[in-house]
Amino acid sequence: MSTAPLLRLTGLTKRYPGVTALDDLTLELPTGRIGLVGANGAGKSTMFRLLLGLAFPTEGTVEVCGIDVSSDPIGVRSRLGYMPEHDCLPLDQTAADVVATFGELSGLPARAARQRASDILDLVGLDEARFRPIGGFSTGMRQRTKLAQALVGDPELVLLDEPTAGLDPLGREEMLTLVARLGSFGISVLMATHLLDDVQQVCDHVVMIDAGRLVVSGGTTSLLERTGLVTVDVGLRGDELVTALARVGTHAAFAEGLVEVTIGGDEHMDLIRDTVADLGLPLFRLSTRLTSLDEVFVRHSGEAS
Amino acid sequence: MSAVPSAADAGRGAVYDRGYRPYEGPRGLRGSATFALYKASMRRALGLRRSWRQKVAPFVLLGIVTVPAIVNVGIGYITRDQPAFDRIEIITYREYVGVSAALLLFVGLVAPDVMCPDRRQRVLPLMFARPLLGVDYVIAKVGAIATILLAFSFLPQMVLFLGNMMVSKDGALDYFTGHLDVLWKVPVAVALLAVYYAVIGCAISSLTDRRIVAGAAVIGLFLLTSISSGVVVGDWEIEGGSYGALINVLGMPLYLRDLVFLGHISTDSPLNGVAGGGLLAVACYSVVVLAGSVTLWWRYRWVER
Repeated sequence: MSTAPLLRLTGLTKRYPGVTALDDLTLELPTGRIGLVGANGAGKSTMFRLLLGLAFPTEGTVEVCGIDVSSDPIGVRSRLGYMPEHDCLPLDQTAADVVATFGELSGLPARAARQRASDILDLVGLDEARFRPIGGFSTGMRQRTKLAQALVGDPELVLLDEPTAGLDPLGREEMLTLVARLGSFGISVLMATHLLDDVQQVCDHVVMIDAGRLVVSGGTTSLLERTGLVTVDVGLRGDELVTALARVGTHAAFAEGLVEVTIGGDEHMDLIRDTVADLGLPLFRLSTRLTSLDEVFVRHSGEAS
Repeated sequence: MSAVPSAADAGRGAVYDRGYRPYEGPRGLRGSATFALYKASMRRALGLRRSWRQKVAPFVLLGIVTVPAIVNVGIGYITRDQPAFDRIEIITYREYVGVSAALLLFVGLVAPDVMCPDRRQRVLPLMFARPLLGVDYVIAKVGAIATILLAFSFLPQMVLFLGNMMVSKDGALDYFTGHLDVLWKVPVAVALLAVYYAVIGCAISSLTDRRIVAGAAVIGLFLLTSISSGVVVGDWEIEGGSYGALINVLGMPLYLRDLVFLGHISTDSPLNGVAGGGLLAVACYSVVVLAGSVTLWWRYRWVER
């Protein structure tokens, strides 16, 4: 069994005339669902082009699934699926035809490609629409078709460029659910986005880049540090809890239906539980509040600059 | 053990999540991807798996180019038992490897339709994210158009040959043995013609993403050079042939056709009498094909340096 990391970037630099798109990026990423986060122009799309072997690095190396992209781009591409951000589907063909054709282009025999196209379109929720021309599809259906063509070749890693772009809240939720499921199918995901909520929801590893430079990389849970606050939901009687906690010298505030308690250590958790019990309040939720990825990004990009 | 649905279950619907099945069968690389793109381009050119409107043009054109063969065979059939008529031939095999308006229209319609939408609908990034290089793309596209042109030029010749065999006064076998040279001359001449027009059609279409512009440019180039050549050469039957015949991009393959069938430039050609005319025709043909190929390679080299 191969022990190579999913992605290994070593001193990766890509310069265009007048601009450095990626600057000395060194990273090792494990299999799983990885969020590639950065503002527009941060270098996300350039990194995808380098991973696909569609652009050569100015300096440094890229390895995907243990294969050096510069020396074997075809070998790498046969292991990847790619879903671009922009519209990229032939509008006068049916979803079944398009996905089957891309299956064949991924190296599958024609019969297997048609069968897999049917299965994958079913998986992404386009079973009934698969014989309709893509030109008549909604944005959400087109995004699903784009995801289907990326998956039809059974890739080891799928590159998703802003998969929730242009989707309404329901469509976004459904797309994120699909992306989250890919991990259980044994398919790793590298999802480029500027929506940190999306990453927090589905990714177990985050890479943040800004102006082509690495800001921070790590497990999603390890990046979400504790804030020293505990959120308590006791329904509408939060004021009583705030008053009781103040009497024992613990600062708390009631806002938007939740009580936020400043704690100094784990022993405060017991104090909160006991106070709630003494007051006879219902306890709906007691949880530590973590920093958001937005806060992590702002703090680390500030440090980097 | 599978459960037998009970009467109570019969009225209930059920949603099954078939999940995801990894693909474990054979998988091809560049060759398979190129062949898949070749097949998809052929289907597109012939309007297969598309609306009936897309099928009209190619098959009407095929019908039109077959008409002379049918008429020729029909006349042969009607006059076969009438000794007063010697063999009547309204078109010869050599003349049939000609430039008809139908073929010109076909190249002007189909080459842009096969090439331009990939660029306009931004499908190219999806294709090149597969195990496919720019040169593979060009081979698949040019190959598809050349194959159809070959078929559309060759099928009428087959109708003519088989029809002539059937209605021959000397008997089918004698006709066959007496025209064995046709069996290699026609395919060679038709292949030269098909490759030439396919390369030109694809090269011009690669320069724009608009079908109408590409179609007009293809037909315009053919007509403009044909007319210009006619003006430069003048009345060649009286004044003799001229080098001006070599600027006729449309008629260039006809000089090679003459070389294949006759071994020299025909006396009814505007290049007749020009010193080294045959060699110059081969050189010009090669230059046009080479220029078209370089244009295509340049447009689809894709990977940056």
